[in-house]
Amino acid sequence: MKIALVFLVLIGIIVLGLPFSISGDSSLTGRVRSFMSYSLTATALLLGMLTIFMSRSLSDELSKRQILTLMTKPLPRWQFIVGKWAGITIFNIFFLCFTGALVYGMVHYIKVAYPPSDDRYDVAQLEDEVLIARHALPWKTPDFDRGADILFERNLEEGKYELRLDFDPQAERALLKEKLTARWRVVPPLGARQFAFHNVLCDRSPGNHVQVRYYTRITRYPADEIYRSYWIFGNPEKGTPVVAIPTQHVVGRFHTISVPAECVAPDHTLSVEFHNENPFPGERQAPNIIEFLSKDEVEVLFVVGSFEGNLLRLLILMMCKLMFLAAVGILMASVFSFPVACLASFTIYVLAGTRSFIMESMDWTTRSSFFATESLEDFAVIAASHLYRVVTYIIPDFAYYDGVETFVSGHNVSLAWVLQGVGVLVFVQTFAVLGLAVLLFHRREVAEVSV
Amino acid sequence: MAKKLLPVVQTAGLCKTFRDFWRRPKVEAVKDLNLEIRPGEVFGLLGPNGSGKSTTIKMLLGLLYPTRGRISLFGKSPTDVAVKSRIGFLPEETYLYPFLVARETLDYYGKLFRLPVSIRQERTEKLLEMVGLKHEAKRRIGEYSKGMARRIGLAQALVNDPEFLILDEPTAGLDPIGTRQMKDVIRALGAKGKTILLSSHVLSDVEDVCDRVTILYGGQQRAAGDIGELLSDRDVTQITTPALSQETLERLRDLVRRLENKDILDVTHPRAKLEDFFLKIVEEAQAARVQTSGARAGGAVPDFLAKATEASTHEIVESLVTASSGSEPLPIEEFKPPEPEVEQSREVIEQLMGTEATPEQEDGEQAREEKADNEGPRPTPRADKRVIDSLIDQADPKENED
Repeated sequence: MKIALVFLVLIGIIVLGLPFSISGDSSLTGRVRSFMSYSLTATALLLGMLTIFMSRSLSDELSKRQILTLMTKPLPRWQFIVGKWAGITIFNIFFLCFTGALVYGMVHYIKVAYPPSDDRYDVAQLEDEVLIARHALPWKTPDFDRGADILFERNLEEGKYELRLDFDPQAERALLKEKLTARWRVVPPLGARQFAFHNVLCDRSPGNHVQVRYYTRITRYPADEIYRSYWIFGNPEKGTPVVAIPTQHVVGRFHTISVPAECVAPDHTLSVEFHNENPFPGERQAPNIIEFLSKDEVEVLFVVGSFEGNLLRLLILMMCKLMFLAAVGILMASVFSFPVACLASFTIYVLAGTRSFIMESMDWTTRSSFFATESLEDFAVIAASHLYRVVTYIIPDFAYYDGVETFVSGHNVSLAWVLQGVGVLVFVQTFAVLGLAVLLFHRREVAEVSV
Repeated sequence: MAKKLLPVVQTAGLCKTFRDFWRRPKVEAVKDLNLEIRPGEVFGLLGPNGSGKSTTIKMLLGLLYPTRGRISLFGKSPTDVAVKSRIGFLPEETYLYPFLVARETLDYYGKLFRLPVSIRQERTEKLLEMVGLKHEAKRRIGEYSKGMARRIGLAQALVNDPEFLILDEPTAGLDPIGTRQMKDVIRALGAKGKTILLSSHVLSDVEDVCDRVTILYGGQQRAAGDIGELLSDRDVTQITTPALSQETLERLRDLVRRLENKDILDVTHPRAKLEDFFLKIVEEAQAARVQTSGARAGGAVPDFLAKATEASTHEIVESLVTASSGSEPLPIEEFKPPEPEVEQSREVIEQLMGTEATPEQEDGEQAREEKADNEGPRPTPRADKRVIDSLIDQADPKENED
């Protein structure tokens, strides 16, 4: 209980103290984003540690022999294990509610603490981009299969593949498709590209907006780091108004522009045209190439929920991870003494948090064949990586269920994502670990002595 | 034909071997133990340190699993959860939660038995009263002395009014008051028909309360049986009398030598028990209302545990006497332990009384007279009246009628 109180005080100090010690990019939006990011990440970390510490109560009862009095009562062992887990879970629910309330309160405090007359403290931007739940639809490049086929046929007619000994038509088609896609993503000076976002399920009422978020990547940085272009939204053929929005933004950053929701067609399609052309006649700009290399560098965002609902869904995702950690802590405590159980639980915590990173870094080894190894050392490395890959299928990917950055950027922590977390993390992995703990504890001689 | 009751505990070929980290057998704690505890008896489990007593108890409770053999508790496996609602256990060390107060502790364990709130509260108060910790009920267990914690341990073992009570070193850490009270509780529960398994090093405590005992050594059963049968020594006769003069003692020696051709082995004055003296001092202090922050003398055994108190025994006997004679019952004194058997040899009594002697006695008497004549006249010893009266009371009724 004392440890729990210490952690509670620590969380309180962090959450209450952070707004006064960090400023982000000095804008109101930046301050709030930095505060939420740090406070929620710190809370997740501290509560993870606390969850592992709280599972020591089982180790303590085993080492101090209180278990001997307990197990002579009509209390089934599985109930004892599940009860321990439920107790830690209830504690975590309380802590998360406490933290959520603190974060919510401090966000609204920050919102009113700065003078709205100062441009840096744009409350409207904060409410549009952070204190909201927006669904993000990334852009999709067109499918250039047909284009690749046409190009391939033309090259074949021209005899470009006659002298190539290792000619593979499939590989050649794939390469041509890749080239066409890459070219399409690059917009030359005075060029234009057309996008169409589908399933933009927003409220098309007058007065509402959707947002287009994009990243300006150019080949040659201008001296003032500002690049000018313009966007056209809407499709008159589908009965939507057409809106042209000129932009002049700092390069190398994400920018967001608001578009009237009326530009979204009744079939939930938003037609977009990007023009790599200076729309400001009074400003000189050297021609430059603009690249949209990643699908995340252009996305359309529309409101699907509230900040409060988003915060609640984020807390549920965090709760799912804590429930798994609690089960791991109980499993380890039912088998090992406290220090060993603590170490094992923390190891799994770290593995779960870095699972995707480690899997990627070991990818080349797991694709390698045992029979292609030239030394025993290589064989051992490949064998270990395969074994680790098996283990990681049991350990969840905490990074996948980390919704803090999504939440902080004002994106929707979707219900589907939360349900997936509940289904996989809780109902599959947590209950599997708990089941294992019940099985091991059931067979354990609680009065066993070391000889 | 009376229905044979199922033994509360039955073991067959019970063995337990402890293994090391590498699963190699290291210590054979219990070997081929065949134990049977019948319903309603107080059973003592004795043995030196490391003889397997606690291991046996832990196997009975499902805290350890036997390496070989079978155990049945109320006809079921020790791991059966339903069986545990009928058991109370006091471990050899009191393993309670130090951060809970006494009341919370009993309430917590009462909840595990799914006792209704009202019953739980009632029993908690009565048990605290019984163990003499009602005034310290708001202190945390971690602040208690060992003896006080032991008392709470006993209370938690009784919270469910168990049919089978297992006490592992119950008097360890208790002062003489607590020890006496523990034994009273055991007797009271035994009188109610509860089955008790008692493991202890304090042999006098076991001797006072147990019906049957078994002695373990090296994990094996070395002796077992009814305690009276095991302990009685038929080769020695013990007689208790009020103080006798030296002359009377000499005459008794001669008489025994003459009649039985044996010497009296020992003539001593009995010593009061230190326990009784201690209790007397404590009672005086309590009468003078001296303050204490420790345990106080406990109250009566709660009614939910032991309804067959000494007073009830008094009433039962009284009613039986009334029913048989149809007259006013004779006043029955406070229950006393049976007087030790006194040799009721007719010859001894008559000799002491100076009445008619048997032919052998006459020969012996004649020989003594001859000796006396040689030595000179001897004064006739006067028998103590109290001795005579007591001998008359204990004489055969038919002798009295004659």
